[in-house]
Amino acid sequence: MAIKHSKLARGEALTGYLFILPQMLGFLILVLVPLVMVFVYSFESRNLLFGNMGFTGLDNYKTLIGDDLFFLTLKNTIVFSLGVVPLNLVLSLALALYLGSASAGTKIVRSVIFLPVITSGVAWAIVFKYLFQGGEAGPINYILSFIGIEGPNWLHERGWAMTAVVISRVLKNLGMNVLIFMGAVMNLPQDVLEAGRIDGATKPILFWKIKLPLLMPSILMVMIVTVIGSMRVFDTIKLMTDGGPEGSTMVLVYYIYHQAFKTFNIGYASAVAVVLFIIVLILTIIQWSLRRRASFYED
Amino acid sequence: MRFFRKVTCALLLLALVAFPVMAQGGAEAKAAPTGPVSIKIATWTSNPDQIALLNSFVDEFAAKEGIEIDAQFESIEFGEYNTKLSLELQGSEAPDVFWVLETSAPAFIQSGLLAPLDEALAEYNPDDFSAKAMELWQSNGTTYAVPFSTSPFFILYNADLFAEAGIPTPEELVAEGNWNWDTFRQSSKAIKDATGVWGYQTVDGGGYDVRILHNLCPIIRSYGGDAWTSDGEILINTPESVAAVQLFHDMVYDDGSVVPPGDQSNFFAGAAAMTAAQVSRVSNLADADFAWGVAPMPAGPMGDVPIIGQAGIGAFSKGDNVEIAKKLVAYMTNESCVARMAGIWPPARKTVLESEDFLTSQPLLTADQMSVAVASSIETGRVLPSHVMYPQIEVESRIVWDRLWTPNADVQSVLDAVAECYAKYIN
Repeated sequence: MAIKHSKLARGEALTGYLFILPQMLGFLILVLVPLVMVFVYSFESRNLLFGNMGFTGLDNYKTLIGDDLFFLTLKNTIVFSLGVVPLNLVLSLALALYLGSASAGTKIVRSVIFLPVITSGVAWAIVFKYLFQGGEAGPINYILSFIGIEGPNWLHERGWAMTAVVISRVLKNLGMNVLIFMGAVMNLPQDVLEAGRIDGATKPILFWKIKLPLLMPSILMVMIVTVIGSMRVFDTIKLMTDGGPEGSTMVLVYYIYHQAFKTFNIGYASAVAVVLFIIVLILTIIQWSLRRRASFYED
Repeated sequence: MRFFRKVTCALLLLALVAFPVMAQGGAEAKAAPTGPVSIKIATWTSNPDQIALLNSFVDEFAAKEGIEIDAQFESIEFGEYNTKLSLELQGSEAPDVFWVLETSAPAFIQSGLLAPLDEALAEYNPDDFSAKAMELWQSNGTTYAVPFSTSPFFILYNADLFAEAGIPTPEELVAEGNWNWDTFRQSSKAIKDATGVWGYQTVDGGGYDVRILHNLCPIIRSYGGDAWTSDGEILINTPESVAAVQLFHDMVYDDGSVVPPGDQSNFFAGAAAMTAAQVSRVSNLADADFAWGVAPMPAGPMGDVPIIGQAGIGAFSKGDNVEIAKKLVAYMTNESCVARMAGIWPPARKTVLESEDFLTSQPLLTADQMSVAVASSIETGRVLPSHVMYPQIEVESRIVWDRLWTPNADVQSVLDAVAECYAKYIN
């Protein structure tokens, strides 16, 4: 009987493995193999035009340490993330709390907020490039002129370019986070909130002491996804600023693209990609451990 | 039930193993050519008339060789041309024949991706090509691509806006012998002041970024400067270059007469009075609702120094049909084909350039306009600077050039920084 059970278990396991085999093959071919290749290329002098010019050990990484442009792009990536992540989290949580309390008209607001998520990133960036035109030609500057403000040349002035890119990116991805938070807000245990109210908790206390801790797992999960997304931004930068002005919006992924496909330096681009991979991995590990600590009721 | 499950599992496994094998088999079957020869041609034009013209050359070539060719034209957007082309050349979708940008010619030649063409060209009087025009496309006496376009930059202007401002047109200033960068600047400002329309739009609106040298080199060279020379001497921060760039900077920020960075106003839509362009852009004016004209680029202290933009065509050295591709490139640049392309892409063949037909080859331009703005500049003009490390130079220097596009920029210090950037790769 025991042998029969074991055979059945093995048969079922085999069936299971066969069913996940296509997915695993896809992961192996499209994710793992390219990932390993990037690691290998990072130790080679590889050029898109000239091919592989040999193993160079840590040369690409040594070049990276002395590359001012790499550190500029690293700084820009951090600035971009620091702009996008808090703004996105605060706005999406505020909107979710408002929309979660199902009042009239929220269905329309929900749809409007979610629309940018299903809009093509390319179309979104092109529209925002038009909106952020400098001088009198830009619609945003035109509106600002009505209240007596002379708008900057958004995409061609240091500081303002990053601001414009951050605004565009936050508005593009807000809807998805609002949706996740709304799910969490709607599933808040009503008995706990009710108990708080009976104990005389004011609205701010109810939010800070009860709702926020209960929402923490969702907040941290959304934060991880938003941080990773912000580290991988490409289309917005490519179409709105092309990394300018003065490289002030050139982020790591865009720098990798430039090195690989504009200057054809695949080996060096791979080294930068490996560094980005390690940064994202460390950030994810840190946030994951924070999630365990901050979510007091999670196992 | 168990039997059914086992059969399902076995079929799944079989399918997973068989699929790649069948795909491989398919690839092998594809490798054995039967029927027409498939030739892929990569260009950065998507103009259907221009593609049709190129396709007619392929048909003629196929008839001459007695073979059947299935030509596929791939139009890649100009800004992404090198990126996509270089990727394709490393993969299985590589074009057999492709256009080459002048700025990347040295890198492509050195990489070995271009097949030598001299043997194929021998059939079509190669001595007819202007030696000066061929310099960029040859290395150690071997020709790796043929410049199908040797096209000087000139000024296109909106005659209605000049009339509205009550000032002489560039063509009238040329006739007076008074067409120089100072009168160009005055005209641009006068139009902006009188009509509110921008006086000048840079080349394709890209003069502050992707076409920065196309925009500045005509002024810089006519002032006696340059970006760098073929000997590796960097001249971008010489007093002559600084004076030229200062003039353009003043036009943008002091006069406010040039379409500024970030503004998408377009000459062809009537939103600017002048722009720098080449013959291939003239077709955009076929349906223009304003009167327009052409004039050569203005002269500077060193006189008239025409700038020529070149584009080459070459054969992929590692393609399946490399021999046919080489012959096709040679055919497409023979005297007959070049003469038919001349109205779009001015040629490097002397016999065509010197012919009467060339002056009437662009239906939207008069013979006089072709003579003054195009023909006279081709023999005396110079191509933009190039270098085997041009892609790196372009990417890195762009960041430094950006510092120039603020009202209070110190032109000398920005150009010193650009020179420093150039020196990293050129010296």
